[in-house]
Amino acid sequence: MAAERVNHPAIDVENLTVSFGSKPALLDVSITIEAGLAVGVIGPNGAGKSTLIKAILGFVKPDFGKVRILGIPADQARGLVAYVPQRGAVDWDYPITVEEVAMMGRYGHIPWWKDPGLEDKEQVQNALKMVRMSEFRHRQIGRLSGGQQQRVFMARALAQGADVLLLDEPFAGVDAATERAILDVLDRAKRAGRTLVVVHHDLATAAEYFDFLILIKQRLFAYGRPELVLNPELLSEVYEGRLRVFADLSGARASR
Amino acid sequence: MIELVANAFIEPLRQTFFQKALIGGSIAAVVCSVVGCLVILRRMAFLGDALSHAMIAGVAGGYLFMKVLFDIEAHAPAMLVGSLIATVITVTSIGFVSRVSRLKDDTAIGIMYTGVFAAGVVLVSIFRNYIHIDLMHFIMGDVLGVADHDLWAAGLAASVVLSTIILFFRQFQLTSFDPVMAAAIGMPVVAIEYALTTCVSLVVVSAVSMVGVILVVGLLITPAATAYLLSDRLDRMMALSAVFGVSSVVGGLYLCMWLDSSGGGAIMLFCTFQFLVVLVIAPRYGLLARWLRLRRMVPQQLIEDILGAVVRGEGAPLPLDKVAAFVQGEARGLGRVVGAMERDGLLHSTPEGLTLTPAGVREAGRVLRAHRLWETYLQHVGMPPNELHKKAHALEHVHDEESVEYLDDLLGRPRLDPHDALIPDDYAAFAPDSVRSISMLRKGARAVIESMDPQATSVGLAVGDEITIGPASDDDTGWNVTRSDGAEFSLDHRAADAIRVRFKSYKDDA
Repeated sequence: MAAERVNHPAIDVENLTVSFGSKPALLDVSITIEAGLAVGVIGPNGAGKSTLIKAILGFVKPDFGKVRILGIPADQARGLVAYVPQRGAVDWDYPITVEEVAMMGRYGHIPWWKDPGLEDKEQVQNALKMVRMSEFRHRQIGRLSGGQQQRVFMARALAQGADVLLLDEPFAGVDAATERAILDVLDRAKRAGRTLVVVHHDLATAAEYFDFLILIKQRLFAYGRPELVLNPELLSEVYEGRLRVFADLSGARASR
Repeated sequence: MIELVANAFIEPLRQTFFQKALIGGSIAAVVCSVVGCLVILRRMAFLGDALSHAMIAGVAGGYLFMKVLFDIEAHAPAMLVGSLIATVITVTSIGFVSRVSRLKDDTAIGIMYTGVFAAGVVLVSIFRNYIHIDLMHFIMGDVLGVADHDLWAAGLAASVVLSTIILFFRQFQLTSFDPVMAAAIGMPVVAIEYALTTCVSLVVVSAVSMVGVILVVGLLITPAATAYLLSDRLDRMMALSAVFGVSSVVGGLYLCMWLDSSGGGAIMLFCTFQFLVVLVIAPRYGLLARWLRLRRMVPQQLIEDILGAVVRGEGAPLPLDKVAAFVQGEARGLGRVVGAMERDGLLHSTPEGLTLTPAGVREAGRVLRAHRLWETYLQHVGMPPNELHKKAHALEHVHDEESVEYLDDLLGRPRLDPHDALIPDDYAAFAPDSVRSISMLRKGARAVIESMDPQATSVGLAVGDEITIGPASDDDTGWNVTRSDGAEFSLDHRAADAIRVRFKSYKDDA
């Protein structure tokens, strides 16, 4: 299905402006993300990272500007974009099993009068296998570790078969081993030709994890290769006084 | 005797009013409980309460309408339609108020339903000469006086609501679990929301004549909550909830016959009793299970103390009584904890005493590292030497990676603690293939140079060289490094910081 859209960038954001009430969340942001890239979105708290993700999902109405997914306006591009929510956004006591959550990824493909078919079930099993959660498929989601929970939602996004995956802080609050497991899944999704957009808060690992970085604080400050974006001057402008973070980044431990 | 008991159960069944109560009550209970599952998962219990009150206005409105226009007393279908209209008005106005103002949902519900309810009360009192309905009938319900038209209404509402829920199960499930995703794949979230509130209105209206305005909320949420404690899937929760709903009606009706009490009251009493029983004995989410789990839980502090005790024995088996002496505070349950640690593969227990497995050694290393770093830190801040160990023994349980790393960094990555014991490395965080600067590695580490900053190029090492970290120079100002070809280099702090290596393993591990 990607073949006919091959000439379009995966995500094309044009002069996007979003505000909530009188507060601007995004101001005149334009980004073109080519297909098959892993892109990190960085910026301080309240910089509009999540809003950008929601705009790409077609979930917030822009005041101005356009978002196109593979050439299709975002609000019509249902199903082309899959979304992995922030961990805090889910009720972990909800009576639902791992398998059922992954099956939700197929809901967009099943007409309302039909039950999930064989192909849907197969896709779900494959997705669970890919994130190594098959053995937990009958487990209620609250009875998993943080990293496993994260992987279930990635399985759901994979089962959706979407070309573009949006992840909101997948590495928040997971241990090092899980972080590697998630990275592994991201990597495989990327190799399968998916485009990944990941909100990320850890500048120290951003360069290692992503092909491109988006540095944002209401306005777009930089979009490009990590070594260009992680430029101390630029970062200090965006993050204002919080310089300690970058001292570590450039390996300047010698000051001690 | 047996005959007496059998009679107590069979005799009521011969009565028509009891049969009707049983059928009507069960139908109402099934839909209430199934819809109730979605109600409690969406945290809408208050809405159910609100709707049941608001419908009083509709009942009065429907009564007056038929009375004034057609002079028909207490026309049941009109009252039913009236109450549906009242609930729909309430739901829409709640939605409207919470959307256009900054008020939150619960406040909007509180305002609108009391408003509509008040309108009903005023209406009834103005036209009290025309209206001959007993408000008490609605407030308390009358399950034993269920009329045929109540049965028909309940049956109709039940079939509409149940088929809606079954047909659109996935839609209801996804919008209640993750509305953002539901919207992202193009589900009409707002329409589904209204469908659900309409279902709630329908079941509330059909159940009020049986259990009354006040108790209908209980029938809506209590069986669902009971099932919630027992299920891990929504479909099973709904099925179980329906079973609990029906059993409350059956149990409650017998209760009411035997005690000659109010029907609605007895049903809800039985329902609440069911909930309390399940709350205690539910296998996974019950109080008993929780208490057992807490009891079985092994205190982490005890595990760490045992690890610390055994690792200080330097490989020799350590008898259990020596371990007990080392443990701080109460050593109760020591045997149980040792058993649990054995199962987790942390140690071996032999008649001579305890020895650590490799995994146990690693875990103990973490605790020991924290302990010795804390000791160093306490000395650094000026604590008298004789108090160091005791204080560090308590502080060693603070050993999360971040805190320990902070201490290590703050103290300049010392190798020896105040008692000249070697501070173990951070095995847990030093995964093979992680990239660090040389200054963060300790003696014996093997690594491959990954990159270097310009200020380190004069040292003579190159990217790709495999190196082993030697002992630091005596004055602790630098690092000695041996390359795989035997050449030795000494680095100062700046150079060690500037060279980043991919950590492989410790010499003695390989």
